[in-house]
Amino acid sequence: MDKDKTPQLPVRMTRSSASSSNHIATAEVNSLEPLTINDLLVGGDPISLDDIISSFPGRSSQIREVVRLLGPLNSPMLPLFVYGGPSTGKTSIILQLFRHLNRPLVYSSCRTCHNQGILFESILNQLRLHRKNAANGYSTAKRCERPSDFVNFLREALTNVVNNLKKSENSISNKMTNGKIGNMIYLVFDNFQLVREWEKSSTILPLLFNLHDLLKMPEVGVIFISNTSPDTFYTNMGYVEPVPILFPEYTEGDIRQILLRNQLNQKLYSSFLDLVLHSFYRITNQVSQLSATLKPLYEKYCEPLNDKGKGVAHNSEMNLRLSTHIKPHISSALNEIFKISYISSTEVETQKEEKWKGKSSRSEQSKELGSLDFHMSTSAKYLLISAFLASRNPATLDASLFDSKGGFDNRKRKRKPSEKALERKETLEEEMLMKGPGTFPLERLLAIFQCLVSVAEDPSDNEEQNNNASGVQSGSGDLMSDILLQLSSLCNANFIFKGRSCPIEGSTRYRSTISEDLALKVARSLKFPLSKYLYRS
Amino acid sequence: MPPSTTPEVVENDLQPFFVLHKASSRIKDRTPTAQTKLCKRNKLSSSPASEKQLRGSVTEECDHHLFQQPQIEAFDIVWTKIESTIKDVLRDLNASIFHDIQQWVLECFNATKLLGEPTISEATRSFPVLNNTTPGKLFTSLVSTRNIEYVDDILTFEELGNFLKSHGFHVAMLSSLEFSLKNGIADCLKALLREFLGGAIDSADISILASWYREQVNYNKPLVLIINDLERCCGSVLTDIILMLSEWVVKVPIIFIFGVATTVDIPRNILPSHVLERLCPSRFMLGTPAERMDAIVEAVLVKHCSTFSIGHKVAVFLRNYFINQDGTVTSIIRALKVACLLHFSMEPLSLLHGRTLAEDQEEGKSSLSPETMLKYIDELPLYARNQMVDHQTKMSMAEGLSDLVTKQKLWSTAVLCLYEAGKYSNVRLLDLFCEALSQDLYLLRSSDCHAGYEKDRGLFSTNDRCQQYPVMQCGGFIGQIVRKVRDLSTGVLYQLIESWGKITADISEVHEKLETLRASVRCEEGKSPRKSSKGISRRPASKISVNIDKNPRMLNSQAVAFLDCLVRNFLRPIEGMPFHEIFCFKNVEKLQLVLIGDPRRRIQVDLLEFHKILKCSCCSKSGNSLVPSRHDSSIMYSLAQEHGDLINIHDWFQSFRSIVLQHKNKRKQTAKQSPSLKKRKDMNGSADQNESSIQARFCRAVTELQITGLVRMPSKRRPDFAQRVAFGL
Repeated sequence: MDKDKTPQLPVRMTRSSASSSNHIATAEVNSLEPLTINDLLVGGDPISLDDIISSFPGRSSQIREVVRLLGPLNSPMLPLFVYGGPSTGKTSIILQLFRHLNRPLVYSSCRTCHNQGILFESILNQLRLHRKNAANGYSTAKRCERPSDFVNFLREALTNVVNNLKKSENSISNKMTNGKIGNMIYLVFDNFQLVREWEKSSTILPLLFNLHDLLKMPEVGVIFISNTSPDTFYTNMGYVEPVPILFPEYTEGDIRQILLRNQLNQKLYSSFLDLVLHSFYRITNQVSQLSATLKPLYEKYCEPLNDKGKGVAHNSEMNLRLSTHIKPHISSALNEIFKISYISSTEVETQKEEKWKGKSSRSEQSKELGSLDFHMSTSAKYLLISAFLASRNPATLDASLFDSKGGFDNRKRKRKPSEKALERKETLEEEMLMKGPGTFPLERLLAIFQCLVSVAEDPSDNEEQNNNASGVQSGSGDLMSDILLQLSSLCNANFIFKGRSCPIEGSTRYRSTISEDLALKVARSLKFPLSKYLYRS
Repeated sequence: MPPSTTPEVVENDLQPFFVLHKASSRIKDRTPTAQTKLCKRNKLSSSPASEKQLRGSVTEECDHHLFQQPQIEAFDIVWTKIESTIKDVLRDLNASIFHDIQQWVLECFNATKLLGEPTISEATRSFPVLNNTTPGKLFTSLVSTRNIEYVDDILTFEELGNFLKSHGFHVAMLSSLEFSLKNGIADCLKALLREFLGGAIDSADISILASWYREQVNYNKPLVLIINDLERCCGSVLTDIILMLSEWVVKVPIIFIFGVATTVDIPRNILPSHVLERLCPSRFMLGTPAERMDAIVEAVLVKHCSTFSIGHKVAVFLRNYFINQDGTVTSIIRALKVACLLHFSMEPLSLLHGRTLAEDQEEGKSSLSPETMLKYIDELPLYARNQMVDHQTKMSMAEGLSDLVTKQKLWSTAVLCLYEAGKYSNVRLLDLFCEALSQDLYLLRSSDCHAGYEKDRGLFSTNDRCQQYPVMQCGGFIGQIVRKVRDLSTGVLYQLIESWGKITADISEVHEKLETLRASVRCEEGKSPRKSSKGISRRPASKISVNIDKNPRMLNSQAVAFLDCLVRNFLRPIEGMPFHEIFCFKNVEKLQLVLIGDPRRRIQVDLLEFHKILKCSCCSKSGNSLVPSRHDSSIMYSLAQEHGDLINIHDWFQSFRSIVLQHKNKRKQTAKQSPSLKKRKDMNGSADQNESSIQARFCRAVTELQITGLVRMPSKRRPDFAQRVAFGL
């Protein structure tokens, strides 16, 4: 198996701009090697601006704009604020540009650094070329919690780095012509919108926006990357507004090109996109979502082909065949993406799983659709149904629904509504729909529960007793004990939501959050006539 | 509470909060548990008496024997045996699913490696790996535990973690406690790092994990994060951690295993869609609790039934407890343990049994001959031996015991055979077990047996041969199983017979019978129906008419005949046999008392009848009358009995005060005897300080009552009234 394989691939360590063939035998040696200034570069093979532009369709104007604002080597810049919706290529483009420009940057994602302390430490660690390892107990170079400390430490570290850069520039520049990394250093804050949710966002936001002014170092560039527009941040604090650059949403054509980028069989894929892209684009224009949903669909599309669409010469006839094959799947996939694209992948995976597990999955196959596939004790089931009813039915109807005869006859008698009553019912129904499931106090739940248990249990009891000749079934009266325990386990399973206590009545109110579907399943497993108790006007 | 009090109480009383009527048919003879009864006032006098009686007898017996050393030893021996059996069973049940999960983890790990293997410097720096166009996907498996209670699965996931660790994976186990909103993502990350790195890491920085992972020893092994109760996790924290880890997935190939108690829709309910698309889920199913339960019953109560067994009533109680109350295997194991403990503490002869078992373990063979039994009996402590009068009884007892053991063996074989057949009709072993233990049903069957033969022969002999077996007529699960066997197809029947062969291998009595059946099967395969019919007609149990042409039907009827024979001859419940008390625990009431404790009722009883516990001199004389020396909350609760569901605070206080002061007044004017509810305005102002201390005592007592859940504090709506919450016992 895999674990036996030793992990020793030759690991490339120094990622200097010039030499890419700097292989060293083992990682062991490497991990001990101190970091150099070169580790602040993005690294990788050099890339030309045109390559970047061509690999990001529909982004050429933004790329040129960023390049213009970054300016030539060693030119100071104003803070940038790059923003646009999720998966519009912000981070990738910035990183690729730095790869192209080959300038050092300090990148920190505010997602990874989930509070200010970690953000500060992450930035300082990078600047001080500190590496966490077992030897230093994975500790940081400098503990830093307070913003004022941070500015001081940062200035110190930055001057240090900039001096180094300048020194190395002087010494190296004559040797290497294309290896100029300049003496600018850039601080990149990704996922910047998250900072707003931090605890101390009111102090940290102005600090970061103001960083450029505070440092007063022309060699430092600051770039913010955010999902939301700058308007959602500024609070008139009197600092220089960063230059905003919008990355707009991709158009359908852009997305088409992006999706086509890495496909083996361009023609086949483009005919596939002809079929599906338009309808999917109307639902989402996020590349990540689209590529995730289209991938299984494309696999399905290629199913009729023998070689999974790798090198088929492709003609209109086959096109037709494939499109008829895929048609039924599109609408279902559309629905799924509309709900959540997740479930589609579950099902695909599950099927795969089953195929792969083969015979071991006996219970899954025998499982019918309508049945409950997890265990609940009978009293928990009744409790869940009572909670469901208590949430759905208006409290005023309880008395009539759960009368001494179990509710059926009395309701029929009541069914002679006048027009006014009908109207009122309609508005009531509408109201219920708008409000969602209602809340109820514990007492009501218990009262309904007791009624349900007493009513619904007796017929079944008799039945069972007939069946089993008084053998096995007896003493189901114990259903009533430990209800509060059952209630808490239902709450834990997110079936019943326990609200905060109501300010007027002072008691805790509950709300059942299960769908009618699940309630019906539970009722079916008990053979309980749920629909008879459910209030529908 | 005797059921006789229920009807009138229900009729007379106002229903407290919601006026909902019970169905009239409900008033049945069942044992109502007090805490849920909403009936209000109750005759307190009758119920505590019976309660007390029961309790008294329990304590009496238990106290007598409980801490006898040999009994504890015997219990230890038996219980460790049972416990290890259960452990093995559960482990075997999960083995295949664990293996599947391990395979899946490996596959996922290889898949993430395809995304690119970053170099060490790439992996440890802060910005994402380039050339990776799609955002990272986290492989996730949703392991359905299929039980709304997750207690059982804590252990399961622990074992899963150990299993994966033993395959060289890095495993972190987190619980929902770490995913609380209060502490946020930092707490969760710290826990994660602690689990993986093993040391105390004070900083919650994911980059530490990346650096750690690139250390020589740790690299190139999958990282598995197990969270065993997804339902309870706070969605927003989980969201954060998933998004964060998905950014790092190329550098730190982490794989999630979520325990899902209810439906796999749970992640959809608690996570937003942009998080869900980062997950790449698969699903695994653990066995249902019912399956586990069956496996345990099979291993502990059927296969090793001579170790420890339970009576029919106890079995039914456990079954109902499992189905109705608390569907966890954990609680059933606990119940078994309690039963075992009670058995050894209450039944002196059970010692004998402990000895035999101990001996068994040492010698590794079954030494249950009458002679050895006799030896054990002689070695019994005096108090146990007192029960046996003379040598004659001892002898007969020894023989009876070894006879019992053999019979039990046969019984368990019969049950196993039936269960094997019952698998085709989805009969749960637990149900079958209860039925097989029932003495009533056994008697019913044996009486049917005679009547059935006479009647059915005449009626059905031409029509359907199977009908002649009385076992067909008996209801319940056994009948169901047999009917199913009648209708099985030939291929399945062959399988069934083969599995019977395995079960009965070392039980010669049953095996012989099966051999004849198998012989006929072989003949059948050899295409000679004549022979087979001969082979069977020799058997006394199946006197079948000779004209047999339809072979498959024939085979089925033979199988039914085999089952019939099993049921009639061997399915004798243990309770019907002499000396069964030694192995068999029957006292369902005590078990019930232990398992379904009734705390609220206890509190009420103790408050009202405190003197039974305190046994103080002052109260034992006065009985139930309110004496000032009683505990405040006890006085208060007794007073509250006189009120409806709303208690006027002022009245309550006044009566409390009068009772408390009664003591002092008594000294001065001895005339005052009984507590009066009249307001006493003629307080001669003994002391202001006294007055305020009474108020304080009153307040404290009310608070205590509120804490115990018997009374609710005045609401804003009705500031003068406290509400009674508990009514009746």
